[in-house]
Amino acid sequence: MTGSLSTVDYLVLLLYLAGTLGLGLWIGRRIKTGRDYFLAGKSLPWWAVGMSLVATDIGGTDIIGVGGAAYSFGLSVGNFEWIGCVPAMIVGAFIFIPIFWRLGIYTIPEYMERRFNVGARAALATCWLIFMACNLGIMLYASAKMMHVLFGWNEAACILYTAGMVGVYTLAGGLAAVVYTDVIQCAVMIGGCLLALVIGLSDLGGIGGMLEKIREVEAAQGVTAGERTSLILPVDTQSPFPWTGILFGLALVLSPAYWIGNQAIVQRSLGAESEFAAKASYIWGALLKNLIPVIVAVPGLIALAKFPELKDGDQAFPMLVSELFPIGLKGLFLAAFIAALMSSVDSYLNAAATIVANDFYKRFRNPEASDAHMLFVGRTVTAILLVWAILFAFQVANMEGKGIYAIFQTLMAFFQGPALALLLTGLLWRRANGKGAFIGFLGGVAVAVGLFALSNESVTAALGWEPLFQVPEPFLYFSVWAFLVSITLIVVISLATPPEPEEKIRNLVWRGREEKDDPTS
Amino acid sequence: MTPLHHIGEFLRNLLLLVPLGVVRLLFLMLLVGLLVWVLRLPNSETAPEGSSKPFENLKIWAALALGIQILIYSIL
Repeated sequence: MTGSLSTVDYLVLLLYLAGTLGLGLWIGRRIKTGRDYFLAGKSLPWWAVGMSLVATDIGGTDIIGVGGAAYSFGLSVGNFEWIGCVPAMIVGAFIFIPIFWRLGIYTIPEYMERRFNVGARAALATCWLIFMACNLGIMLYASAKMMHVLFGWNEAACILYTAGMVGVYTLAGGLAAVVYTDVIQCAVMIGGCLLALVIGLSDLGGIGGMLEKIREVEAAQGVTAGERTSLILPVDTQSPFPWTGILFGLALVLSPAYWIGNQAIVQRSLGAESEFAAKASYIWGALLKNLIPVIVAVPGLIALAKFPELKDGDQAFPMLVSELFPIGLKGLFLAAFIAALMSSVDSYLNAAATIVANDFYKRFRNPEASDAHMLFVGRTVTAILLVWAILFAFQVANMEGKGIYAIFQTLMAFFQGPALALLLTGLLWRRANGKGAFIGFLGGVAVAVGLFALSNESVTAALGWEPLFQVPEPFLYFSVWAFLVSITLIVVISLATPPEPEEKIRNLVWRGREEKDDPTS
Repeated sequence: MTPLHHIGEFLRNLLLLVPLGVVRLLFLMLLVGLLVWVLRLPNSETAPEGSSKPFENLKIWAALALGIQILIYSIL
């Protein structure tokens, strides 16, 4: 695609970058306290938070990767944005997010200490911090690598420029800058991908033309007719998305764990201007999510219909843009790709800094820290994390080929299931106690790690066993079993040990309609 | 082979027996169940205080998001 970019394309990209940076720095002038920095002074409107939720969730590599997966495996990858997001966002909007917002917490681990104990808080905060800190480096490197492949840009320069751009406005404006720049990024991302959809479909003669071509490709490749356009695939499918993993692993465990327990996601709704705005942001995000597979996955199918011979699915989206987009609009797609990348990196940077500052520094080192001092701490931690992310990105580049990607893709599945067990029992079951939560969480993580080992070829080959799971990348299944073990341990241990005092858990547990309507409760 | 392999194989074979039509119904039941729950939520939890405008009630927008999902999973 490199050779086909014109000066106009680069100008469009520069305009976007300058606008984002300017907005971020302008917002930064109004930040005076730690509350402003971490929670945007609880002033964010629902529409901005909702768009930020969507922008944060879709990274630069996701745009290319989802299009690529749709090209290789079909529309079933759309499950990750549909049933893997919308139901959990709606449940989160009406049950979990209002409780978190009312409590005025800064982080999800903070809720865990109030509901359970400091052990549960420290364990969850540690898991999230390790994941986020490593993920920052991975995101920077993976995107730089993609920019190198797609546009021929230097990898090291891409890492440094992206980190520099994101770092400047995140350092200056904290959550508010992250959310408002995400709004621009979300609009640019949707606009750029929508363009690919419209131009691609009109080139194929509409949806009917695309489906006709896909049926021909399916017949030529020996794939069951209709599989590439179906969301529900059988258990023995060759794709990584059988219905069992999608329903039990994604829809029922990973998705709720992500939308109600991921600090990078939930934090922006904690900064909403009212409880209603916090709820509305999730519903608005859910509505937008319905659109995402249409504009990100369907272009992968269009590429399949137009270029069925591509060896690498990740070339599908760039090929489509390169072949069909006129001058100037290619720059818009490039801006959409970079917007998606920046919106994820800034959110994880800000969320990781919030955890370090609040769950570690303020909790264990300086509980009396003033709000003004916490602003200084927040900015310092953000700068340190940024340097760490750059160094780790270069380290990942050196470690390539040693399975680093597989390890970090699976890392989140290790603790997402147990984290969901903690959240569900904590918010919905009064009898759950700290002892049960702490042991249940660690037990669940241990099970996920054990299952990973039993699926790892080098481990099973050494033991002379078959891998435990037959699907490629079985992370959806780790999370299901880890969740089930975790919740069982929490229930059994909580019932066998004394409950938490009623006055401690008041306002921390969701009350059903009947109980709420009862004035004596 | 460990006992876990046998349990896994048993579950896999069991789930292979479920027809895809029934699976689709399962997906739809999940979404319809959620839609019913949303529609039964009290207005005090879904609309801003003192608001009488129907479009300010989040129930409608949540139902719309779920309605689109039901349509998508019915046809794809």
